[in-house]
Amino acid sequence: MTALMKKSRSIRLVLLGSAGITLAACGDDGPPQDAQFYSSVADCAAVYDTATCESVKAEAEQKFAEEAPKFTRKEECEAEFGPGNCETQQASSGGSIFMPMLMGYMMGSMLSGGNRFAQPVYRGANGSAVMPNGGKFFNVGSFGGTGAGAANSFRPAAQVSQVSRGGFGQSARAYRTTSGG
Amino acid sequence: MERLRTEPRPDWREHVERDLGFVFHTIDDAPYWDETACYRFSESEVDTIEDATGELEQMCLALVDRVVASGEEAYERLRIPRSAWAAIESSWKVGEKNLYGRFDLSYDGSGPPRLLEYNADTPTALFEAAVVQWDWLEAFRPEADQFNSIHERLIEAWRNFGIGRRRLYFSSVKGHVEDAGTVEYLRDTAVQAGLTTDRIDVEDIGWDGRRFVDLENRPIDVLFKLYPWEWLVGEPFGEHLLTGVAKVIEPAWKMVLSNKASLALLWEMAPGHPNLLETSLEPERVPGRVVRKPIYSREGANVSLLQEGRVIAETSGDYGAEGFVYQSYAPLPAFDGNFPVIGSWVIASQPAGMGIREDSTAITRDTSRFVPHFFG
Repeated sequence: MTALMKKSRSIRLVLLGSAGITLAACGDDGPPQDAQFYSSVADCAAVYDTATCESVKAEAEQKFAEEAPKFTRKEECEAEFGPGNCETQQASSGGSIFMPMLMGYMMGSMLSGGNRFAQPVYRGANGSAVMPNGGKFFNVGSFGGTGAGAANSFRPAAQVSQVSRGGFGQSARAYRTTSGG
Repeated sequence: MERLRTEPRPDWREHVERDLGFVFHTIDDAPYWDETACYRFSESEVDTIEDATGELEQMCLALVDRVVASGEEAYERLRIPRSAWAAIESSWKVGEKNLYGRFDLSYDGSGPPRLLEYNADTPTALFEAAVVQWDWLEAFRPEADQFNSIHERLIEAWRNFGIGRRRLYFSSVKGHVEDAGTVEYLRDTAVQAGLTTDRIDVEDIGWDGRRFVDLENRPIDVLFKLYPWEWLVGEPFGEHLLTGVAKVIEPAWKMVLSNKASLALLWEMAPGHPNLLETSLEPERVPGRVVRKPIYSREGANVSLLQEGRVIAETSGDYGAEGFVYQSYAPLPAFDGNFPVIGSWVIASQPAGMGIREDSTAITRDTSRFVPHFFG
């Protein structure tokens, strides 16, 4: 009888009903156009003066400690950030927590609230370079290898240059209704 | 066909949100998913709906063939802009595959189901039909059957689509939770078919002078869009899309079927067909009470009921600029004061299942409720 039935034999969902980190689109709170990735003070000091580099690094490290996702189990952390990309940290409560690996920081000259733009960058799944800002996560590039040593293999995401956007979507705003029917 | 009152599962909201990811079960504080009732069909009634659906789809494909063959005159009657004609013709001639469509039928269990309209390009209410009502049946009456193998057929359709290793982008407009839910469900089935997928909002699609790109400027070669073709072709990037630089799902030839003027052309092709209602582009051609629908419209907007040219009921909206079609009025059946419309799905042009939307008025709108069904 089952073979002749008109209903699906089984239904499984792999994406729906589960929550994860969703990468945000560039735009609001994304890195400014001139922002660059630096893995160390030495790296940064080739462009900016050492004192600036040190203060930006300290700022990024502090933001990382305060804002980076924290997990109580290593598997949960690795499910988000990929195998081998999580480090153990000491929690203030005394136990261990797991966090992604700080690889460096994005730094730009654009001022925000009187400060230089500076945000930590850590390693995400599949070699991506993830930068948090304003409660969102941005994919700013990728790393060529695994582990902390891969910081030197950073490749920036393709620069937005000749690309124009916003060429679709106007009609949806013109009509006060849904796209589907 | 009968309407049964049923006791809702006490935890259904929590269950469908948590286990199914169904977040738009309530719209503007009113229930959209409604399990206080269900429809029971006989096996032969379901066979009737399934057969009618298969036949309507074949007629629609035959119509596309006729329109493409006749060219300019037919496109103009369909109000399809000239810029889109070549894309329609080439997508049809190379045999670009289509994924899905939903026929809205008026049916009361006796006589033939009648086609009210065909949502050929951007049909929604898919996830509710495919998954939520299936899950309801498993809880409510697991031994019963349901006309619904939509989920399995979607996975199968993706396997046969010829996308290969290309990344398939799923797009919808920003900030619309139902459209996003429909698209995310389709992406789920594509992932299960082994495809590489990604999401992008239509507003974020970029054009680099040669091809469409995502937010990281990676090329978009295959695009599923829950966004009407007739809107796409009129927007700034429409001319690029019409060059065929990206494979688009649904294909461009669906433009022939996604506007309601095609209902008039269907009637001309098969006048008197039992599954069709007499429809014309001219008001005086259809006798008796007539429903006037905009050629391009969604969700029951700007529909009027006319008696000898006089409006006796109508819905509001922003559509109608391209003109109207006039369809013979077939009153929807009433069950306990509710008017059900059967949304009968085709996946890869094969009948695949149905979902029922009920309204308390005779014109189904986006305020309607989705009510599950079973048979046997």
